[in-house]
Formats: sequence, structure tokens, C-alpha cells
Amino acid sequence: MSVVEALYIFDEHNIPLLEHTYTGRPPPGSTILPLYLQHPSPQPSLIYLPNTTPPTLLYSIIQDRLLYLSPCSTDTEPLQVLEFLHRVADALEDFLGSPLLASKIEGNYDVVAQLLSEMVDGGVINCTEPNALRDVVEAPSFMKSILGGVGLPSTTPSPLNPSNTTFSLSSRPSLPRPIANLNNASPVPWRRANVRHTSNELYVDIVETLHITLSPSGRPLSALSHGTIAFTAKVSGVPDLLLHLSCPGGIANTVALPVFHPCVRLNRWKERPGELSFVPPDGRFVLAGYEVDLLGSSALDAFSTATKGAAGPRLNVPATATVIPSLGPTGADFEVRLTLNPRFMGKAKAPSPLPSATGSSFPRTGGLGRGIGGSAGFGSQGTTASPSIEELVVHVPLPVGVRNVAELRVTKGPGDAGYTAGDRCIEWRISAREVGMLMAGDRGTGLGAVASMRGTVVSAGVDEDGDGGGSGGAGELSNPYDYDDDTASSYQAPEVSPPKKEGPEADARRVRQNKVLMPSCATVSFSVKGWLASGIRVESLMVDQKKSKGLGAGVTPYKGVKYLCVSRKGVESRC
Amino acid sequence: MESISRISSMLETARDLTLEAARDASSARKTSSRMLPQAQLKKLLDSRSERDVLEGLRRVVTMSSRQPPSQTLPFFTSVIKNIASPSLPVKKLVYIYLLQHAEHEPDTALLSINTIQKSLTDSNPQLRALALRVMSGIRVPVISQIVSLGIKRGVGDMSPYVRRAAALAIPKCYSLDPSTEPQLLEYLSLLLGDKQYFVTGAAVAAFLEMCPNRMDLIHPHYRSLIRKLVDMDEWGQLATLHLMMTYVRKCFPRRTKKVRKPLANATSNAKSTRTTKGFYDSDSESDSSQDQGTEDVVILDPDLELLLKACQPLLHSRNSAVVIAVARTYLYLGTPTFLSTAIGPLISLLRSASDLQHIALYNIVQVCLAYPEPFVKYYTHFLVGSTDAPHIWRLKLELLTLIFPYAPARLQSLILAELSHFSHSGSQDPGLVREAVRAIGRCAQSSVTTPKTSARCLRLLLAHIGSADAHLVAESLEVIRHLIQRDPDNHRTTVVRLAKHLDAATSPQARASIIWLVGEFAGLDPENNIAADVLRILAKGFADEAEPAKLQIVLLAAKVYVHHINANPPPEPPKPAESKSSHSLLDDFHEEGGFRDLHLDSPDQSTMKEREILHPTEALYQYILLLTRYDTSYDLRDRARVYKALLSTPSSIQLASLLLLAPKPVPQTPSPSEMRKGYVLGSASLVVGQEGGVGGLKGYEELPPWVKEGEEPDPRLRDEVGLTATNVYEAGGGSRSITASERLDAAASSRVPDLAVSPARILNGVGVGAGVGAASAGKEKTLDEWLEEGDDDDDESEEETDEEDESTEEETESEGGSEKDRLMK
Repeated sequence: MSVVEALYIFDEHNIPLLEHTYTGRPPPGSTILPLYLQHPSPQPSLIYLPNTTPPTLLYSIIQDRLLYLSPCSTDTEPLQVLEFLHRVADALEDFLGSPLLASKIEGNYDVVAQLLSEMVDGGVINCTEPNALRDVVEAPSFMKSILGGVGLPSTTPSPLNPSNTTFSLSSRPSLPRPIANLNNASPVPWRRANVRHTSNELYVDIVETLHITLSPSGRPLSALSHGTIAFTAKVSGVPDLLLHLSCPGGIANTVALPVFHPCVRLNRWKERPGELSFVPPDGRFVLAGYEVDLLGSSALDAFSTATKGAAGPRLNVPATATVIPSLGPTGADFEVRLTLNPRFMGKAKAPSPLPSATGSSFPRTGGLGRGIGGSAGFGSQGTTASPSIEELVVHVPLPVGVRNVAELRVTKGPGDAGYTAGDRCIEWRISAREVGMLMAGDRGTGLGAVASMRGTVVSAGVDEDGDGGGSGGAGELSNPYDYDDDTASSYQAPEVSPPKKEGPEADARRVRQNKVLMPSCATVSFSVKGWLASGIRVESLMVDQKKSKGLGAGVTPYKGVKYLCVSRKGVESRC
Repeated sequence: MESISRISSMLETARDLTLEAARDASSARKTSSRMLPQAQLKKLLDSRSERDVLEGLRRVVTMSSRQPPSQTLPFFTSVIKNIASPSLPVKKLVYIYLLQHAEHEPDTALLSINTIQKSLTDSNPQLRALALRVMSGIRVPVISQIVSLGIKRGVGDMSPYVRRAAALAIPKCYSLDPSTEPQLLEYLSLLLGDKQYFVTGAAVAAFLEMCPNRMDLIHPHYRSLIRKLVDMDEWGQLATLHLMMTYVRKCFPRRTKKVRKPLANATSNAKSTRTTKGFYDSDSESDSSQDQGTEDVVILDPDLELLLKACQPLLHSRNSAVVIAVARTYLYLGTPTFLSTAIGPLISLLRSASDLQHIALYNIVQVCLAYPEPFVKYYTHFLVGSTDAPHIWRLKLELLTLIFPYAPARLQSLILAELSHFSHSGSQDPGLVREAVRAIGRCAQSSVTTPKTSARCLRLLLAHIGSADAHLVAESLEVIRHLIQRDPDNHRTTVVRLAKHLDAATSPQARASIIWLVGEFAGLDPENNIAADVLRILAKGFADEAEPAKLQIVLLAAKVYVHHINANPPPEPPKPAESKSSHSLLDDFHEEGGFRDLHLDSPDQSTMKEREILHPTEALYQYILLLTRYDTSYDLRDRARVYKALLSTPSSIQLASLLLLAPKPVPQTPSPSEMRKGYVLGSASLVVGQEGGVGGLKGYEELPPWVKEGEEPDPRLRDEVGLTATNVYEAGGGSRSITASERLDAAASSRVPDLAVSPARILNGVGVGAGVGAASAGKEKTLDEWLEEGDDDDDESEEETDEEDESTEEETESEGGSEKDRLMK
């Protein structure tokens, strides 16, 4: 049942950074790493290595370009180990600062070693809550200097009394919880004791990741938005917070399958969806996760009525791309058309032409203390009033048979289309400024801006055979060792079919061959600040003064809200 | 749930730049690895200044993080010397060093034990816990008794933090010296009943590590464990749910009762009953004799229901392992109603990082195999994205096919469109094409699919035959062949259609596959069969075919010929000559002597007759044989020789038909994960599959069978009557302050009711399970143990009351102090 036998961390060049053995005699990192790298990338997160002694299950995650490996000799629950590895990454980032870099680990081995030995005891996962770890391990000093000496001076553990508040969360059966004299342990397991902050701040960051699949006709097959509410609490004492979310159509109908940090009172949410009542851990954490089906539950019915087309379920996607394959006389050309939604024009001029149906206007509710400092965090480019698209990238994955893409160029609109021979993907980058220009040029039509890119695929076979119209299995030729097999078939082909003729018939055959080489989809990546696909927004964030402890009277923390909608190759259009 | 580091990487866009900068920095950092010479490092460690010592220790820990322990072993004595340092940071680092190196220097490590033991009584609970952890972590068997004593002290500590460390130390001590087991079990039993959920979680983990089969220890704590389940940390929840799997199976017999189901929705219920049965197939043998009108309803024990209900809030856990563990509990212990609540949370795991997603998908497939219907509405989550890695799309495609039979018609067409998109797009790897085509095949074969949908699948597949993608064609034909073989009578026209596609198909494998199919169906409907015609057409282009196709043509010729002979046995009187058209051809081969062997075998003078009356089929056959005789492939020539020998004599015709026309077994293509179906949800064996060997990986635990009715332990064992009194230390650790004498009284009184109750229990055991000797024997044994333990306890507690008195007094004092403070606040 020993779950974690050892932990190995490697940096982005696969140089070992850290080896920590917990129990047993697992094979060392130097023997495991080559076996891990043997597997074709992307490596699955669980690999069985039967040839090591003892046969080992190898768990791996890659986070922030660091590779975490954990070997295990017996059958355990895989998700348990993987979750643990994620927690290690989180804890290290929490202690050493974000982003977590190899050099930071190298500079603080003493802290890392303390952390790792606290997290696992004899192979059993012990404690992974960053706040609880803060109670027992001292963060490196440069962090302290940044935070202004916040935190418990654990060098001299003073027998301070913990704030003696009992938390009986309404969702959980209220236990008589004896508040023992824990010296420096906190009564709330996820919040460290004696939190002091000179400036009290609360930030809510809602991030939604889009996963949209559009059929060739432009109709959405699926449109999911995965939301995560990240929370940053820098408040003294033990605050009791109430976060109120709202969205057009009601939270209960919109948000599906939520998961919560253990601090959230489940019953409150069940009684009144949209209200999150909780005592936050100190620092940054993920409060909740949810998903939103942007098509709604009746999406399937829409499929029957094909006439509706793209107008079927209304979907507000900032940018989509479509591929038009098999163009040109031989069908070797393709065009990628990028369409930008005019709603996301940015703040360039004038308010957005369409009234924002998703209601992402700036919330100014009375209960928000000093108000939500939204614009402060947004930088210059996007605000809730007029969100704009940034980091726009179009990816076009190519089939295996494609050797090169000739004459790749952006025919209309800005940006750089990049492709290096042998790659499996074309990349078309458009910077935020260029997006703005493109949008500005298209003002007034209200249909959105369109840009396009064209290219010609070159199959691996054509170069070899010169005019080789008969390279039937072009896809196979990409491997030189297949050559022998392939000649047999390729010389076969012309003889079976009628003899080669110049003219439309040969072209048709080429079109058919080139069809195999056509890209079948295009994906769009972007990020939009100040806008959420689901339309969810923070209605209010309140500190319950009655239930909170240790937060001086009359102190109203500064509150900030940030919305971000990203797509990481998430908007996919097929053809 | 996404981890915070992944979310922050999205929020911080400038991060990539930072990483670039850091990479530059990291190339610089490699050169300036600050390694001090050994002598200097020793000097630092031996220094009197705390700061220097700390610096030295940091360097040693840094070294040991990257190098094997042998590199840092020379500093052992210098480091250990500092163990008595009053500074906490120094102590912590020394402890870390000690844990890693003690095994290599057991003798020197022993020197430090004394100091560590002293730390066990430190006023700082953190230090006490640390000391306990280090002491148990030093793998030197000599000290097992000291460790055991330390654990004893830790078990009675007031700080839950220390008690937790004590719980985790128990399995370590056990592996050090198994002879300490009786004492350790006693401690463990105390800790399992701890009031702090923080401690019980660790105690359950220790229990699983040390003695996962001692269910008798769990009985009195069962209900309290379940009450604490929600409040434990996620790892404690995992351990508890793991324990409950075995506990419930061993202690709650599965009871079912038959209920007449309402007639109105009989059909839908029939479906659900069936799934239920498949679900619990391991335990419900009696179900086979089930009536049509009734269904089995599981009767849940109230205690079991307690567990199932306590799991509900865990479904919103951020830890994916917990969600899977709850799903596992519902799947193997609960009812379909409970399981249906777990489906959504299972789907929500697909939001997490791709590494977790991969494992979660395996588990979802496993649940879906048993219980596909509730997954239908989540179909959007199973659509394959272009960015999915192969191991992910493979499972997603499987899920799509699993829900296919249960989906409404619109969804079915959506799934088929999805699959055909991936089958002909060819954009990704050939593997995806292959899997997609197979998935279409599975959709078509499913027992629930209507013939109309099946036909649609077939049309999709037939459309692929003309494709330029050889993989696609070959795979499609393979699947078509399976489909036809499963239901040959309805697919006569399909074969004809396939034969028409022969002109379009260019890949040799595809042609071979089609030809084989035509040959296989040559015997059907003899009056109106196309096989001979196909053979005639193929014979024309025989020389241009590739070898695989040629092989199949020869086989086809042989089959057609056998059918011909069977239909018109050779000794029949000659028919009027009809095939003059091919006469010139026949002359050719006879002159070349193609039939010479036949002459020898059949001495009757039929050759001349045959020559005149040769049926076109036979002529074709002979022609093909002749062509193969001069082929370059020896394999082809050999086969032709075999057929020739087989079919030459009328006596061997029967044998030939056996050989050539043998009915082929219907190919079965189960869902790929069917092979893993036996593995328990959530286990690593489920993910690894067959690679892990038969019976799963090392340490894989089969699900225990349900205990038989009447053999289960007495449910009254779970009553919590004597429990509150037995946890004596709790009174001290709790908020109420009591004197030592009170504690003694409590201890004494707690034992009396136990003794009083136990005989009654024996009686009960005998009374209830009169015919079940084994169970009652087991109970008696536990009682004996109990009594023995009780006696031990008495002795020990008497011996130790004195020393304990002092410490308790101290404790109560401090406790009282804190109480006062609290009041003042």
C-alpha cells in the first residue's frame, strides 16, 4: 500500500534535479529516465516497466517544463499518485515562487527536502495542503522579503494560542471538534494559523477554456467551456467569505458538474446555486471548477434540422477558422479562412456594435467595498466593456504523407504563416496589434473580419518520382524502407487503371490522391481578457463580519476580479 | 479540477519570456555549482556558530538531493553531532540527513537515538512529531522496542499532529520488527477510534499497510469512520474508501428481494434489470432463475447505506482519485441509483490535465461497459479533438461505440458522422483511421442496433473501398468481412456490391479480401451466383494481379470448382457439348500436359469424354491452374499443386469440400477494453491491462466476494456502546480537564462493561449462526485475544500509572491554562 516510493525531478533538458527516496529500493532515476524516454512522445502518464528490478509502474507528469517521475512497485491507485505529483508541483511553486524554475529548486534544496519529507511519511501521503505545510516548513527568505516578513517565524515557535474558532461547516455533519492545544496548527486544516497581512486583498480570477468542435458545415458539434475559479486571499485572521456568481439564465442552468475546494460549504451551493460560502486558505488556490455546455441541452435536436446551419444554436466564438481543401487544378491547394467575431474588437474606438448578450458589463455592486478593481489587472488591451482577442494563432495539422507545403502565404490580412519542412503543423500567428488593425479595416459590415491563407501540399512521393502520377500509396513512401513494397504497388496501379492520359482524367486522379494529403481541420488559439464564454460574472464578494475572526473591525479588503477566456487549440473546425 | 500552477500559467502571459530568461540563466548556473571542498564543509558543520552549521547542513542536503548517499556519507558524524542543537532548522535538516543515511551507518545512527528520544517530550508538538517520524524512519532493527515505546507515547499525545505521526509510524515499526505486532495492533485500534479526523485518516492508512485483513479491529469504529469520512483529508478518504471495499464485502451479505415491476414500462425495466445483473454478475448466481415479471431490488443494510450516503459529498472533491474511489464504492457495493449520481462527477474528470484524463478515461470506460445508458447524455465529452493524444482518442472512440446502441437516432447519426470523418480524413495517423473504421464495425455489430443502422454503417464502409488510402480500404474490408460473416443470409447483395467494387479497388489486400468473400459465398444460391462470373473476369487479368490477389483467385477457382463438382458429380453421363467457344483454350492446356497426373489416378478412359464435355467452370479452373503453374511465386505454385491433387480424384472430393468449404467461425470483435473488464475500478492493473500479466500487477487485490448470508459478523459489533469509555486518552486530550484518578476510574469502568457484554455476544453468535461453526469460532478467538489484551492493558497501565501521572498533570495544567486563555478571549 506504500504509494509513493520515490520522487525524481528532471529539468527541461532531462538533467536530474532531485532524487528523493521515501521507502523501499526503487530503481534510481538514472535507469528509469531512459526507459521513460523510450516511449514515443507524448508519453502516457502511467508506464509499466517490466524489465526493471523490481518491475515498476512509472507515473509521470510534466509541469512547467519540469518532469516529475515517481516509480512504484505495487498496484496502487494511479490517480492518487498523479494527483500527488500535481500537489508537489503546486507546493513547490507556492514555496519557491511562480514560475517554478529549475534554478529555484537548485537554490533551495533545503526547503525542498523539508517539504518533500513532510508531504510523504514512509511512502504514505501525509500532508499536501500548502497552508498546512507553511505551518511546518519555513518558506525561503527571499519570499519573506517579498511578502514583507509575513508568516509565522517558525524558528522560534512561540506557544501562541490559535484562534479558537470552531468551524462546523454546514455541509458536513457537525462534529464536536476538540480544539486541542495545537500550538502552531490551525483549527481549519486548509488554513494556516495566525495569518497577518498588512494590506488585505482578495482577488477572483475566473478562467474559462474553450473546447469547441465545428462540423464542416460550420454547425457546432460540441461547445464546452471549462471554467476554473482561482482565488487569492491575503486577509488577516480567519475570514468567512461569500462569493456570489451570476449569469444570464441562472447559474443552476448554466454551470454543470462543479467541483470544489474542500473549504466550500456544499449545502449552501446546493440550496442557493451561485453562492460560494467558504473560509479561504491563505494565498492562492483553486476555489472551484465547473463546465458550461454552450450549446445547451437541446443541442442534439438542432442536428436534425440541417437547414438551420450555423445559425442553429447561437454560439459566440471570438474567432473561427475554416479549411477549404482540394483547390487548384490538381487539388493540392488548400485555403484557411479565419473569421473574427466583431464583438471582440477591443477598445480601439466606439463601443462594441452588438449589445453584449452575455452581460459582461462591469459589475458595480454596492457590497463590493472599494469596488472591483477590474481594469487595474487587465493591462491596456482588453476590458470587460470591450474585450479584445490576443495571442491569436491558427494551427493546421497536416497528414503524415505531407513532405512540404509550397507557396504558403497569407493572401488576405496580417500575420505570419510558418511551416518548416517535415513538421506536422502549420502555424499562423497574428499579434494583438494586427488583430486590431484587421478589425478596424472591417468596421461597419458587422460580419466580422476575415483573413485567409493559402498553401500547396507537396507529397512525399511526388519529388521522388518526378512526374510520378502513379505513386498510388504516397502516404507510405514517407518511410524510405517501404520503398520496395511500394514500387510493386505503384507500378501496379497504372496498369490496372486505363493508361495514363493527359487531361481532366489524370487531374481527377491526382485530386483523389491529393485528397489524402489535405488537412482535415484547423484549430484556433487565442485569449480574450475581460470576457467569459459562459457569461458568468462575479456579482459580489462579501466578508461575513460576524463569522470572521481576527480581521480588525472596519477593515474592508481590497477586491479585484479578472475574467479570462482562453482557447488552446480549442476551437476546431473540420472540413 | 485544474491545479493552481496550471491556472496561473494561463493567467501569466509573460511567463514564456520568463522561462526563456531562466533558461539562459540556467546555462550559467551549471558552471557555478558551488561545491565546497570536503574539509571546508566539515569545518562548517563542526563550527560553533549556528549560522555556519546551518549553511553547512544546507550544502550537505543539496549534495544529497542530487547524488547517491555514498557521496555525503563521509559527513555522517559531523552532521549527527548537531542533532542536539537547540535550533529547530538545524534539527530538521539533521533529521532529513539522518533519514536518508542511517541505513548505511547503523551503528553511528544508534548514537543519535537518545537525543531523538528526548525530543519526544519536547514542548513543541511539531518537534515531537518530527522526532517520532525520524525514529521510526531509521531502518535499524535493534531499536524496534524503543520505537514501539515512542509510538505508545505518541498515541497518548494531546496534539493530533503527534498522534498522526504515531499512526504513520506503526507500519514502519512493524516492517522493522514484526514481533511487535500485538502492541502495535493495540495502538492502532486506539488511533482508529480517535476523535480527530486528522488522525483517523492516517490510522486507516496504517491499518491498510500493516494488517488489511483484521476486520475485527474495524467493527467498533465503523460508524465513526464513516462519520469522519467527509472531514478527512483527501488521502485519508482514499484510504478509508479502500478499506470499506473489503470491509463491506466481508461483513454485509448481499440481500435481494424480488419485486413485481409495474407493467406499464415493462420493456424499459427489462433493460435495466439486465444491466443490473451484468453488473453484479459475480455475486448473484441465483438471479438466473428470474421471472420475467419481477426484478431484484437490493436491500441495503442500514450501516452500508450510511457509507453510501456519506460518500455523496465526496463526489464534488477536487481530487480525481477520490471521485473514482466513490464511483468504485457505488459500482461494487451500491445500487445503480447511487452509481448514477457518480456518472457526472466521473465525466468532470475529463476537464483535468491530460495525464489525469488518460487514467480517468480508462475508469470511465470500465463503468460504461457495465452501465452504458447514463453516459449517453455526455456524448459531447467523448468527441475526439485533433489535439488528443493517441491513448486518449482510442478510449474516446471506444466510449462512443459503447454508448451508440443506447443513443437516440439523432445521436447515432452524429456518432456515425464523427467516426466516418475520422475514418476518411486520414489527416492524423493511420492508427486513428483504423480505430475509427473498427469503431464503425462495432457500432454495426452491436446487438441492439437496428438493421437500418447496420445498413448505414455498411454503406459508410463500402464508400471507403475506392479510397486512395490503402490502410482505410484494407481496414474497411476487414470490418465488412466481419459484418457479412455474422449474418451471411442478409448480405448476399452486399457481396455482389463488393464484387462490383473490384474494378475500383487497387490495393492488392483489398482485392484479395473481396475475392475471398466472393469465394466464401460461392455456394449460396447456386442458380444465381456470381462467383463463376467473377472468376471469369479475374482470369483475364490474372497475370497482372499482385501475389495476394493471385492466391485468392486460385482459392476462388478451387472453391467454385468444388461447388460445381458437388452440384454435378463427375460420373454422370456426358452432357451435350456446349462450350465450343473455349475449345481452343482447352486444347492448349491438354497439350501441355496439365492433366497428366489425373490420367494416372483415374485409369478409366474418361479423359477423352471429359475433353469434349468440359463445363466452363471446370475449364476456368483448369486455366487458372495452368497459369499458376508458371507463376514466379513458389507459394502460389505450391498451393495450386495442393488443390490440383485434392480435386483430381472423385474420391477426395468430399475431403476437398471439407477443406475448402468449411464453415468459418463468426469473428468476434469485442470492445478493446472487454479484456480488462475483470480488473477493479481505479487500480493500476486496469490501466496497464494484459501487460501486467495474468491476475494483475504485483499487489493487485481482487475484489473479495460477498460474504454469504449467515456467515457475516454480528452487526452488533458495530454498535458504539463501549467505545467512548475505552478511549481514555481522549478525555485527557479533549477539552475537558480531568484528574489522573478520574482517568483511572474511567479506565477501570470501561473494562467492566466489556467483560459483561462479551459473554452475551458469544451466546448471540452461537444462537444466530447455529450451523455456522467457523464464524462463531472466529468470534471466540477474537474474544480471547480481547481478554488477553485487556489483561496486558491492566498490567501495563498499573506499571505506568506513576510515570503517566506526572505527565498527565503537566498536560492538564497546560490544558487548563489554555482553557483559561480561551475563556478570557
